[in-house]
Amino acid sequence: MIKAKEITKSYGREQVLKGINLQINDGDFAVILGASGSGKSTLLNAISGLERPDGGSIFYDNSDISGLSDDELTKFRKNNVGFIFQQYYLLPNMTVSQNVRMGADLAQNSEYQSIIEAVGLGGKLNSYPSELSGGEQQRVSIARALAKQPRVLFLDEPTGALDEETGRQVLDYIIKLWNDKQFTIVMVTHNANIAETAKTVIRMKSGKIAEIYTNDTQKNSYEIGW
Amino acid sequence: MIIKKQGVKLMIPAIMAACAVFICALFLNYRQDLLLIESQIIPEQSVYFEAMKTTSVVVCAVAGGCLLITTAIMLIFYVKHYIDTHKKQLGILKALGYSRVKIAANFWIFGVSVLIGTSVGLCGAFCFMPWFYDIQNKDKLLPEVTLGFHAELLVFLVILPTVFFMALGIVYAIFKLKMPVLMLIKENFRSKARRTGHINNDGLFLENLKKTTLKSRKSLIFFLMFASFCYGAMTQMSLSMNDLASPVMGGMMLFIGLLLGFVTLFLAVTTVVDSNTQTIAMMKVFGYSQTDCKHAILDGYRPLSYIGFGIGTVYQYALLRIMVDVVFADMENVPTYEFDFAAMFTSLVSFVIIYEIFMVAYSAKIKKITVKEIMLRE
Repeated sequence: MIKAKEITKSYGREQVLKGINLQINDGDFAVILGASGSGKSTLLNAISGLERPDGGSIFYDNSDISGLSDDELTKFRKNNVGFIFQQYYLLPNMTVSQNVRMGADLAQNSEYQSIIEAVGLGGKLNSYPSELSGGEQQRVSIARALAKQPRVLFLDEPTGALDEETGRQVLDYIIKLWNDKQFTIVMVTHNANIAETAKTVIRMKSGKIAEIYTNDTQKNSYEIGW
Repeated sequence: MIIKKQGVKLMIPAIMAACAVFICALFLNYRQDLLLIESQIIPEQSVYFEAMKTTSVVVCAVAGGCLLITTAIMLIFYVKHYIDTHKKQLGILKALGYSRVKIAANFWIFGVSVLIGTSVGLCGAFCFMPWFYDIQNKDKLLPEVTLGFHAELLVFLVILPTVFFMALGIVYAIFKLKMPVLMLIKENFRSKARRTGHINNDGLFLENLKKTTLKSRKSLIFFLMFASFCYGAMTQMSLSMNDLASPVMGGMMLFIGLLLGFVTLFLAVTTVVDSNTQTIAMMKVFGYSQTDCKHAILDGYRPLSYIGFGIGTVYQYALLRIMVDVVFADMENVPTYEFDFAAMFTSLVSFVIIYEIFMVAYSAKIKKITVKEIMLRE
């Protein structure tokens, strides 16, 4: 369980997070929804241990990670979380297989090839990122994050750089993964339609949580508008 | 814009150019002045006279010439690196409607660093010359050599290199800007990897990354090896040539060796870290420690640096051996020269200490890299 208590964060004089309180249960599929500048990515960075908040506490079960040093946070990320970003950030000079090993080696996961096959890239083990389409690159970044066997998977606008069809495919794959493995997913998006695929929706506005609600029925990616 | 953002880095080729021109101007000017007294040379002085002429050419060619070529390679690399890492901004300018030539014209600025460097080198050489000539004239083995100004040195050592590098920056930018706008804008994170030989998908990630980092920028291998080569060769030469040349020459060699070693190492390691910012940031996001990042990105260069030091050691020995056995072969009372193990040991120990201090400093720089840096570049 992830619990955030009175999280604040400022950049210069601008307060981006203004006392955030939230709780994400184990196995939840939570979406942080908000317009540009609402503080959703900053919140994701804080609760995932990428950035330290200025104030407040973040608990993973009973451990507070808000006071950890840089080295301790690195170790925390190594053992607990996986990331998928809008821009993929694959290593351009390494093949699909080598990119996925970036995550797999941390978890000493020797089964990483089956994950590459599961994301439909079994035939492209030796391809470089520049030889793949945007959707394929995002699937490599998903495989890389999954190969790490994270407890919580954080996704920052994972479909933001993709066209509609590819975006729907990637989203569908993420939903399928969550249904199969039931690990915790926290996804940031500005798209209210995408939020309909989640179990829990945390809507942010101007650095505060405007509302938290649970979807009665989770839709798949082909049942939502884009 | 280029000067504001790259001011410090532009100083590096300027320093290199200054060192190169300093040595070349000093010895070429001396040689030109030597030629003016050729008619006064009596037969007993001819061997020494020829030796001095040859020494000037050898020092100029071996030290100054090598430095000039290296400065040229470094500048070409630097112009290329600058343009390659600023493709996105250039693409945006092109998208806004600026013509290729108009954008590229701004790259004349790279010639300014050469102009500053070569001018400082030439002025420095002329400031140093009276002292240098006094030392050469002190033994009275030749008629007095009078210091003169040779305008052709200004042309060949200052004006031509400046014009060449101004043109190089512009032409390379024009060539690069031929790319379609979208390619320029997107290429930062979609750069094409070259398929080189066998792909090893089985090795550990950190080991693969170490190899890939080395392979992806071969020019940096040259510069790192060159840095250690300069340090090894120049420091050992200055320490072991006490009997062969004046302390001034030794001091000059030491200064140039240290300067070149430091600036080249600084440029090369900075480029290694800068060009791998995205990789380092992602490694840290995933939970790789600072030690892992340093191991994968920087440690692969260590053995190559020591190889560079070894080549420098052999080079300085061969150079001094040639000077003693060939150039001064016909002269009497030339001191014997043997390989100086003490100088090598001193130089190696100081090199190891300096190199490791550099690595610690850059390890601290790696620690400061965050994922925000690469997100902000988007």
